[in-house]
Amino acid sequence: MNEFKSGFFMGGESCNGRVLIVDDEPDIRKVVRMTLQKAGYEVLEAENGAKAIETINTGENRLLLDVIICDIRMPKVNGIEAIAYFRQNYPRVPLIVLTGFPDTDMATSLLRQGVVDYLVKPVEGEKLKASVARAMEHRELARL
Amino acid sequence: MTNPELTKSDHSASRPPAPVTTTDRLSGLDGYEGTPTPTPTKIAIVGAGRGGTAMLTLLHQLRTVEVVGIADRRADAPGLRHARELHVPVFKESADLLRITEPDLVIDVTGDAAMEKTLRQQVPGGVGILSGRSSRLLYDLVKHEFALQAELLQTDKLAGIGSFAAGIAHDMNNPLQLILGLAENLTEERDLETVHLQARDIVEAVKRTTAICRDLTSYSRRTSIHSDQVVPINAKLDEALKIARYAVGLQDIEVRKSYWPEATAIGNPDEILHVFINLITNAVQAMERGGVLTITTSTIDGATMVKISDTGHGIPPDVMGRIFEPFFTTKPPGKGTGLGLYNIKNVIHRMHGSINVESQVGLGTTFTITFPHDVRAEDGNP
Repeated sequence: MNEFKSGFFMGGESCNGRVLIVDDEPDIRKVVRMTLQKAGYEVLEAENGAKAIETINTGENRLLLDVIICDIRMPKVNGIEAIAYFRQNYPRVPLIVLTGFPDTDMATSLLRQGVVDYLVKPVEGEKLKASVARAMEHRELARL
Repeated sequence: MTNPELTKSDHSASRPPAPVTTTDRLSGLDGYEGTPTPTPTKIAIVGAGRGGTAMLTLLHQLRTVEVVGIADRRADAPGLRHARELHVPVFKESADLLRITEPDLVIDVTGDAAMEKTLRQQVPGGVGILSGRSSRLLYDLVKHEFALQAELLQTDKLAGIGSFAAGIAHDMNNPLQLILGLAENLTEERDLETVHLQARDIVEAVKRTTAICRDLTSYSRRTSIHSDQVVPINAKLDEALKIARYAVGLQDIEVRKSYWPEATAIGNPDEILHVFINLITNAVQAMERGGVLTITTSTIDGATMVKISDTGHGIPPDVMGRIFEPFFTTKPPGKGTGLGLYNIKNVIHRMHGSINVESQVGLGTTFTITFPHDVRAEDGNP
């Protein structure tokens, strides 16, 4: 990964990108953070769609957020509603769905809406990292 | 969370429409508003041996029947003991039973051919007598009816479990994701303290996953009609909430509980659980955009009352009269069997309870179940 192209500096260390994980389960946020931090990403967390929208609209996240990983079944603003908001307001930020419920119709619909990947838990760390890396490529292309 | 529909109605209507109510206090073709209460058939049982005990146990569960008494000359007859437990009057002589209770129908289960002749001399004209094969036939028919009801309950339950798939997948795959992520990390982790902490997290996640399987296999098993016992109602409501979560997302529902601590009822715990799961699931499904689910238990004159209220779309008046009919559903094809409320009604009837519905379109619905007072619940001896 070219840190000068896709990353930025964070506390003196280079960062591969900034990822927001949106999931109501703290355990999921914890393992995703652990996996992605080890791969050099900065990870932000939101416990529901409403918090995620608040996070992306806060400070430099408007510009520097690279990828959003989003669950579907969540309180307040659910994943479907949050994704619709992100697609409308931040169409250049790639979205990955990470859900506990495999639903072919929903997956098809979301992929048509521009979601770059639809992952069903439990997903292996390598697969998650590969998906985020692909999403980062989308992000880079969008920045050109 | 505010229900937009509710807020709109509150502001736009100067006076809310009157609630529509239906009660299924009665048996038979009930659930229809305005149906007159049928008078139960008064039945006297002569003979309290094995046959009399079985007949008493069976008929006592029928809402259309009132067992007014049972007679047997043997003071230690098992049916007399059981009748006292059910608060059914007992008699030594059949003549006293018939004279005092004035039954509509007498069922002779003595197996004594001479008894029928005696009874014919004792009962006034117009009172029916069933004995021998005809009483056996009545027993078989009622038993068959209960078996059919049990089948419908099981059908509804299994159909409902299909709708749990999304919730089960969500609740199973989340801990599995944690287990997988931590296990992957442990293959590289060098810090012993972290290894211990993450191993403990894995154990806890496995326990959570196991609990889901245990809850569901316990719920899906076939229930026995006759295993009545003292049921702690508050605990059953909490269990129902836990299981209903698999069928319907409670994320946007505010659950308010107000429990009377001693709430109990005599009945089959599995059937009562099924009743609560059904009513909670219906309530949540009626609140598509969130709302408040209120669950209250209370007592009035020893009877236990359970109220389950939602702030959902309400039941239209033209539908209200049919909601307890079998196979009646307003849900899209494949989404409901139409057996839910019908089964609930049957379960509550067998317990000699009642169920009342009050609903206002756009404001919500309240189901009130009244479990009858039973002294066995007081000392915990069913």
